[in-house]
Amino acid sequence: MSFWELIVSLLGQGLVITLLTTVLAAILALVLGFIGGLMRLSKNKFIRFIVAIYVEVFRGTSLLVQLFWIYFVLPMFGLTMSALTAAVLAIGLNYGAYTSEVVRSGIQSVDKGQTEASIALNFTRVQRMRRIIIPQAFILMLPNLGNQLIELFKSTSLVALITLTDLTYQANVLNATTLQTTQIFTALLVIYFVIAWPMTKGMKMLERKMTEGRM
Amino acid sequence: MWDWNYAFEVLPDIASALWVTISATLVGFVLALVVGLIWTLMIRSNNKIISNVADGIVKFIRNTPLLVQLYFIFYVFPQFGLSLEPFTAGVIGLGLHYSTYLSEVYRSGIESVGPGQWEVATALNFDTRKTWTRIILPQAIPPVLPVIGNYFITMFKETPLLSAITLVEILQTAQNIGAGTFRYTEPLTIVGVLFLLLSYPASVALRQLEIRVTERY
Amino acid sequence: MSEPIVRYNNVTKYFDDLQVLDGIDFEIQPGEKVALIGPSGSGKTTFARLLMTLEEITDGTIEVEGDYLWHEQDDNGDLKPASTEHLRKVRSNIGMVFQHFHLFPHMTVLENVMEAPVTVQGRDKKEAKKAAEEMLDKVGLLDKADSYPAQLSGGQKQRVAIARALVMNPKVLIFDEPTSALDPELVGEVLDVIKDIADQGDTSMLLITHEMDFAKEVADRIAFFDGGKIIEDGPPSEILYNPKAPRLKEFLERFMNTQSSPE
Ligand SMILES: Nc1ncnc2c1ncn2[C@@H]1O[C@H](COP(=O)(O)OP(=O)(O)OP(=O)(O)O)[C@@H](O)[C@H]1O
Ligand SMILES: [Mg+2]
Repeated sequence: MSFWELIVSLLGQGLVITLLTTVLAAILALVLGFIGGLMRLSKNKFIRFIVAIYVEVFRGTSLLVQLFWIYFVLPMFGLTMSALTAAVLAIGLNYGAYTSEVVRSGIQSVDKGQTEASIALNFTRVQRMRRIIIPQAFILMLPNLGNQLIELFKSTSLVALITLTDLTYQANVLNATTLQTTQIFTALLVIYFVIAWPMTKGMKMLERKMTEGRM
Repeated sequence: MWDWNYAFEVLPDIASALWVTISATLVGFVLALVVGLIWTLMIRSNNKIISNVADGIVKFIRNTPLLVQLYFIFYVFPQFGLSLEPFTAGVIGLGLHYSTYLSEVYRSGIESVGPGQWEVATALNFDTRKTWTRIILPQAIPPVLPVIGNYFITMFKETPLLSAITLVEILQTAQNIGAGTFRYTEPLTIVGVLFLLLSYPASVALRQLEIRVTERY
Repeated sequence: MSEPIVRYNNVTKYFDDLQVLDGIDFEIQPGEKVALIGPSGSGKTTFARLLMTLEEITDGTIEVEGDYLWHEQDDNGDLKPASTEHLRKVRSNIGMVFQHFHLFPHMTVLENVMEAPVTVQGRDKKEAKKAAEEMLDKVGLLDKADSYPAQLSGGQKQRVAIARALVMNPKVLIFDEPTSALDPELVGEVLDVIKDIADQGDTSMLLITHEMDFAKEVADRIAFFDGGKIIEDGPPSEILYNPKAPRLKEFLERFMNTQSSPE
């Protein structure tokens, strides 16, 4: 196969799974990150403790170990799941732990005066968070969230190791059948780069757009 | 569900593989520290070609997955007559991948040194080399030490990827044991616990360092 | 004499071991404009922030329109700490303008002024917009309605902050050194706006300031703070031109000197 045929063949077979895993895991991570980050700021010690455990366990152990654990160990406890579910769960939980720290520090970096002004205008705690603090914190978080999205995208290559048929998995299959090793892995690197690089640029643009004239 | 006897039986094998994991981390990290600095200096070079090439390589490495880079080093290099041991290939992959992150850290450290320092160095007639080693780097590095430490821990947690290129580190050891006995629960859990036991205290210590560093700078 | 709108009863405030307010009794009448003066660290800001519920009271009580602010009465008439709902209900009478404005940077000027009427008071969006525009007109900034705070000068920011507080129709409006973060040439425009509001409105005002001329012009009464206590309290003419307390005399002398000293 020519280099271009290899690229097309890889894309055709693996792109959808790679992107699907990325999107689903990113959504899960964002949701967990916001819930975790807000709970981390709760007045309730017990709630803070629970989140701290979650964060430290998922940051402290390796993503690949978590992926294997969810895919190979959970079935022993009767929790059998598809490779895609395991992949989304592992990546989402792992990045959710990091995201919750981003969310927590983003909220904490919003100027205290904003809270005081909201109290003076008689906002409830929830209104204050929703309308004043989180929108500002979100802009502060954007650079970090953008970086994490790129990292998360790259980490989806690990799902090949639990036999989910993403780009990396298909490259290995193709390598075994065609033995065009050099071209295949070069093509694979190029594909990842061509997706990740515009993502980096896009996040930077979004950042600029959201801060323009306002902050 | 959980068999303590089995767990204790497999623990020594897994723990002894920890040496492979730790030495891969250490060697890879030293490589990352050195190569990262080389990238930074190349990117800052006045020669446009050198700086653009370095910048391009760094961007490419940063925007592609470590796992694929490992495959590339392990499977493609031999096509050009360069066959590497899994450990060597793994360490090169880790080091190269994280050198791009460290390059960014060095850059931010160097940029935090004010322009006045360069002017003073010129005024005192330091040559380029002395300016870097005596004036700039001693100021640029300490403030970013916590970030550098963080990448060390991150790298440590990425070493299980080396199992994909057949390096028998702790995850691969656990997998092998699991494949033999069809019991993955204990070996994989032990691996997770070992990672947590090593990386959590390290990150707590780093947070202390960070507090001290922010107080000082 | 009518019922006071605000009453401090033996109010004490500690920050850990540091006593900042020392058993203060104080009243503000409906529509009355009161200026607070005094040396730095004497407790003026803390005194006002207790009323805005930005600091917690240590001891004593504050009443707003006869309702306890920090407390609620249980069935036996005993005082217990106020619930969040109670605090919000009583707090709705109070508004505040801050030294550093604290505008919402992610909202336009108009959105800044509309936000609380809609979100907090549940007012109709159209009506709130109209009210917000009226307020912006009042402070002379209707043409900036679609700007973001970052695009305004300090004086303009503070005028927006005043409009944002006013649109909530507070019965008592607190100003904590509203001009001391401003460049000197921008102070006048903000003072003019405050003067206008004072002249028109039946809103009570609590005004912390170092601008003595302004205090004299706007205030019905001036209270002098020192060491966490109100040492002297009376009409501007008495306080400024016929001070009794030695500490107040000293304060005014030092003040006049620094004011008139040639650069
Ligand atoms: N959050 C706080 N924690 C501890 N101490 C505080 C706090 N806020 C104020 N203080 C202390 O309380 C005292 C009174 O402060 P306050 O700000 O009320 O004075 P002020 O009269 O407004 O002074 P200024 O004219 O400088 O604004 C000061 O000694 C101050 O250091
Ligand atoms: Mg003050």
